[in-house]
Amino acid sequence: MENHTKGLGNAELWGGLAWLAFGLFVTWQGWTQGLGTLQEPGSGFAVFWTGVIATGLAATIVVGALAAGGPSLASLWHDTRWQKVLLVMGLLLVFGFFFEQIGFIPSSLVLLLVLMRFIDPVPWWQAITVSFGAVIGMWLLLSKFLRIQMPAGLLAPWLG
Amino acid sequence: MDVISSLAHGFAVALQPYNLLACFAGVFVGTLIGVLPGIGPVTAMALLLPITLSAPPEAGIIMMAGIYYGSMYGGSTTSILVNIPGEAASVVTCLDGHEMAKQGRAGPALGIAALGSFFAGTVAIIALMLVAPTLARWALKFGPAEYFSLMVLGLTLLAFLTHGSMAKALLMACVGLVLGLVGTDAITAEERLTFGRLELLDGLGIVPVVMGLFGVAEILANLERRISREVIKAQIGSLWPTRADWQASKGPMLRGTILGFFVGTLPGGGAVISSFASYALEKRLAKDPSRFGKGAIEGVAGPEAANNAAAGGAFIPLLTLGIPPNVILALLLGAFIIHGLQPGPLLMIQNPGVFWGIVASMYIGNIMLLVLNMPLIGMWVQVLKVPYPILFPLILMFCIIGVFSSNAAVFDVFVMVMFGAIGYLMRKFGYEPAPLVLAFVLGPLLENNLRKALILSRGDFWTFVERPISGTCLAIAALMLIIPLLPSLARKRQAIALDQE
Repeated sequence: MENHTKGLGNAELWGGLAWLAFGLFVTWQGWTQGLGTLQEPGSGFAVFWTGVIATGLAATIVVGALAAGGPSLASLWHDTRWQKVLLVMGLLLVFGFFFEQIGFIPSSLVLLLVLMRFIDPVPWWQAITVSFGAVIGMWLLLSKFLRIQMPAGLLAPWLG
Repeated sequence: MDVISSLAHGFAVALQPYNLLACFAGVFVGTLIGVLPGIGPVTAMALLLPITLSAPPEAGIIMMAGIYYGSMYGGSTTSILVNIPGEAASVVTCLDGHEMAKQGRAGPALGIAALGSFFAGTVAIIALMLVAPTLARWALKFGPAEYFSLMVLGLTLLAFLTHGSMAKALLMACVGLVLGLVGTDAITAEERLTFGRLELLDGLGIVPVVMGLFGVAEILANLERRISREVIKAQIGSLWPTRADWQASKGPMLRGTILGFFVGTLPGGGAVISSFASYALEKRLAKDPSRFGKGAIEGVAGPEAANNAAAGGAFIPLLTLGIPPNVILALLLGAFIIHGLQPGPLLMIQNPGVFWGIVASMYIGNIMLLVLNMPLIGMWVQVLKVPYPILFPLILMFCIIGVFSSNAAVFDVFVMVMFGAIGYLMRKFGYEPAPLVLAFVLGPLLENNLRKALILSRGDFWTFVERPISGTCLAIAALMLIIPLLPSLARKRQAIALDQE
């Protein structure tokens, strides 16, 4: 596999282009917000000029990437366990969607068990012991000692 | 006399049972996260920030500060016993500390690290106590132009010292500034970059952003590769260094303390840079530099003293000017603001209990740390044996709890996940998160001072150059920007550039 490239697979180029788009967007947002005057700068003044500087810096990265090349996109993920990264991200998003409806205790238990069993598996007894211990312990600490309310969800009739 | 009576007042605050408990919790958690690789002080402070909200301001800030200097102590244990730095400031301790452990001298290595840290930490607090009031009086003369330029200098220095491309580091600082400006404009009350989301009216929360960029992103990066940790199995033995060890260590400890303290006070400086600088200094001064990297105790004593002294020194710009010199102190600034306090020259006048309470708590915290790190070393060795597949789900759960409890909003959990993904990609593509976070915290202050300075000068940009302090800061910042363009100097910059987290 080619590690360094000047072609379209150049990671530096794609990184620079992403930030270039970001810089242009911020510049436009600042402009539409209103720059005001130097005597009385408006809400968009700092946003606009920060966007301009970001665009300039991103442009230098793009030019540098075109001139000198950079690591290929594939090489960044070569020999890594990127599937596990995607899986964890997906799990966190699903957790976020159901956190309030299902409640802190059930959703955290499921999350911990899944993470411990399916990402880098540990024995079932360890996963169950640690998950239950951590979730119940955290719930007691938060709700009883620190008085921080976590969503009760499905367990609301019992937890109040 | 004034300082002594103020310090006595500080001890009266710090010795209150609740504050003592907060101090102990802070240094304990600090040592724990210092020991555990994969979670740094930034994540831990962001994690515990919501918990401190229910506590009085003094207790909350004392706890957060304890996490910071406690993590400096704990980091050395992992470096010496596992050859993996528990946190970035202990990277250099791996070189000689782990070699000593392999030679059966783990005890003296751990002992000198703890004692050197205690000595440097205590000296740094004394210096902080003596320097801060004078600097604060001087800082009262600062206007918006000076504050703006000082913040620009801090961000530029951080970008300069960040590993890799300076253009990327500066770009990250710009991104952080933009993110810091999201929400309602403090002057005109107009909405900015909120895209109609009510949750963004108060801006992006510091906790979900930091937790995502450092906590979640770090876990994702660790999951990609298999982490193997092998703790030294031999007996640790006596922690007390021999007479020869003391003889070899006293000079490095003293030099490390002085160097670390001054580097720590610089904007953009910090514990990481000071520990590397101390190691380089000791190697240069050594009669036989070839011993370094093969178990020289000077290579442990100097850097460990330096990173702890830097942690103390870093409080000076924060407490006297209200400007955090590094990303960890930026988070502490966030904690101050959340607690309704504004660090700066007026802090010790308006809230002497908070200022002197923090200073006094550092004395107490250092003694607690010595106890935690000497007699209880066996406990930390056991902690090191917790496998990562068990540890990372727990860290993730703590991140979620920390983020949710800061605002009771699931929206923040999604923000954290999004910044986790962004932070992971940033690491992949070689963009450092530290300038982003510092700029994110400084963003509103920077903009506010820029606009105030322009209004006061009736739109005259020369106000930033004409005023001596402001002009000097901008001149140094400009120099930092020019250096990478000169090839010979650019190479020197790369030699000292470091990953801040």
